[in-house]
Amino acid sequence: MCKCMSVCCLFVFSEDQILLSDCASSLAVQAYLRMCNLPVHVSCRSNAEYMSPSGKVPFVHVGNQVVSELGPIVQFTKAKGHSLSDGLDDVQRAEMKAYMELVNNMLLTAELYIQWCDDTTATEISRPRYSSPYSWPLNQILAYQKQWEVRRKMNAIGWAGKSLEQVYEDVSQCCQALSQRLGTQPYFFNKQPTELDALVFGHLFTILTTRLTSDELGEKIKSYSNLLAFCRRIEQSYFEDSQAGSSSRGYSKGPSLF
Amino acid sequence: MAATMELRCWGGDWGLPSVHTESLIVLAYAKFSGATITVTPIDWTWKTLTGTVPELVYQGSTITEPAQILNFLRKQRFNADYELSARQGADTMAYIALLEEKLRPALLHTFWVDAENYANLTRPWFASRSPFPLNFLVPGRHANTALSRILLTKGESPLHTITEVEGKIYSEAKECLNLLSHRLGMAYYFFGNTPCSLDAFVFGFVAPLHKASLPSSPLQSHLRQLDNLQRFCDHILNAHFSSHPGSPQPVQETVDVNLQKLTQLVNKESNLIEKMDDNLRSSPQHKPLRADPRPSPGNDKSSTPA
Repeated sequence: MCKCMSVCCLFVFSEDQILLSDCASSLAVQAYLRMCNLPVHVSCRSNAEYMSPSGKVPFVHVGNQVVSELGPIVQFTKAKGHSLSDGLDDVQRAEMKAYMELVNNMLLTAELYIQWCDDTTATEISRPRYSSPYSWPLNQILAYQKQWEVRRKMNAIGWAGKSLEQVYEDVSQCCQALSQRLGTQPYFFNKQPTELDALVFGHLFTILTTRLTSDELGEKIKSYSNLLAFCRRIEQSYFEDSQAGSSSRGYSKGPSLF
Repeated sequence: MAATMELRCWGGDWGLPSVHTESLIVLAYAKFSGATITVTPIDWTWKTLTGTVPELVYQGSTITEPAQILNFLRKQRFNADYELSARQGADTMAYIALLEEKLRPALLHTFWVDAENYANLTRPWFASRSPFPLNFLVPGRHANTALSRILLTKGESPLHTITEVEGKIYSEAKECLNLLSHRLGMAYYFFGNTPCSLDAFVFGFVAPLHKASLPSSPLQSHLRQLDNLQRFCDHILNAHFSSHPGSPQPVQETVDVNLQKLTQLVNKESNLIEKMDDNLRSSPQHKPLRADPRPSPGNDKSSTPA
């Protein structure tokens, strides 16, 4: 049943370059692969975005295949015989997909908005970090190009008119929905983690441990104690053991919640 | 009660009160929650170009976007979600996100980007409902917006064209319809026996696909295989939007007519009492006004679009 998968190589941006949203997505994929007990080696490249087939990080390179983003990676591992959501029935699967879309729709979009549409954050954090591997004038050009792209997308989905407070409010509502869904269970679908748990962990943990211009986003999440406990639980179960013995620097999740 | 609320939206056709998804969502929710709104179609006015649709006008203030309009209606105590548990409320948010991400791109493509559908159905319809010379501008504008939205959200890089994205968005939309169908099961509504905002959203998205006579649509053929979703749309149309006094009752409701009238009287009385209390306390946590459930007596209160 279990085909011996050659080691996955996960490509992400380097520590200095990575931004909130990419960090969240990468952590989600890492968490998922660890939950599947698949060995993963993390590589940092400054041009990871261009190496990816879809233009988005992270992506994995296994054997002679390259797959990017959590959704396709989940399908890919499923095709190889590793799946976390096999035990779910149809209605539960529908719920899981719906909640994953909620996270993508609200949390990821909010992260992108805060990074690129909020002028303070964009000037102080996002643009310098994104363009750090490059020299002038390429760094300016790439940073502004990325900002322009993201702003166009925000325009298309109707987020351009939102204020920062409204975005924080949306994040709060999203967290409230997640908190209510999680309740007192250890994972979203009771005993076993699924890709939804990986995704939620990736985003929440990153938001909690990343320093932005204001702490409001982190504070919103901290007000939901079961979400905090959830993040700690996953960190302890899946990331703690590798922390001690890992020689390859790989991608660190930064400060821990402990 | 309240001064009348006016809703500006696209007009109806194909058996629907409106052909526009967002307008349908608001109209359905208004019916579910018992809100009395006057519907002003923007057809044949200059608002087809300048207005944002749908738009709710109330005492001088305007609210756009279905989510915000629904929030506003809830604040006005027209709350169809009152009986939902916290978890069901969370599920509602999640499913709405699913609809937006997975179903909307394919619907936009079916109606506005697919050449055959656009040329034979969508453009003539919208052009015929716009005054001269806007009939040349309005459909094209919507089509461009739709295309750019699909490409920006689903297209992976600036180099991709629409054809590469098509396969992906249609398969995601079919999966989304399947998921909705699984979730709905044999019930009439998504949560229990009474409709709520999720039902309004699903109705708004699925009904145009169900009713429009599209020349070429793999998505519509897929929907035809999902009986319960079609039944869901038809049931809502019959129960809430039918102008026939003897509209067919849903199977679950077997309430006596006399009992209904008595309930209405009691409700009116308690509304008066609540109003007096409200003036004293003005707390937003009050049990909201809810006009009596569905059938005919409620229909003549609110105006239905032609």
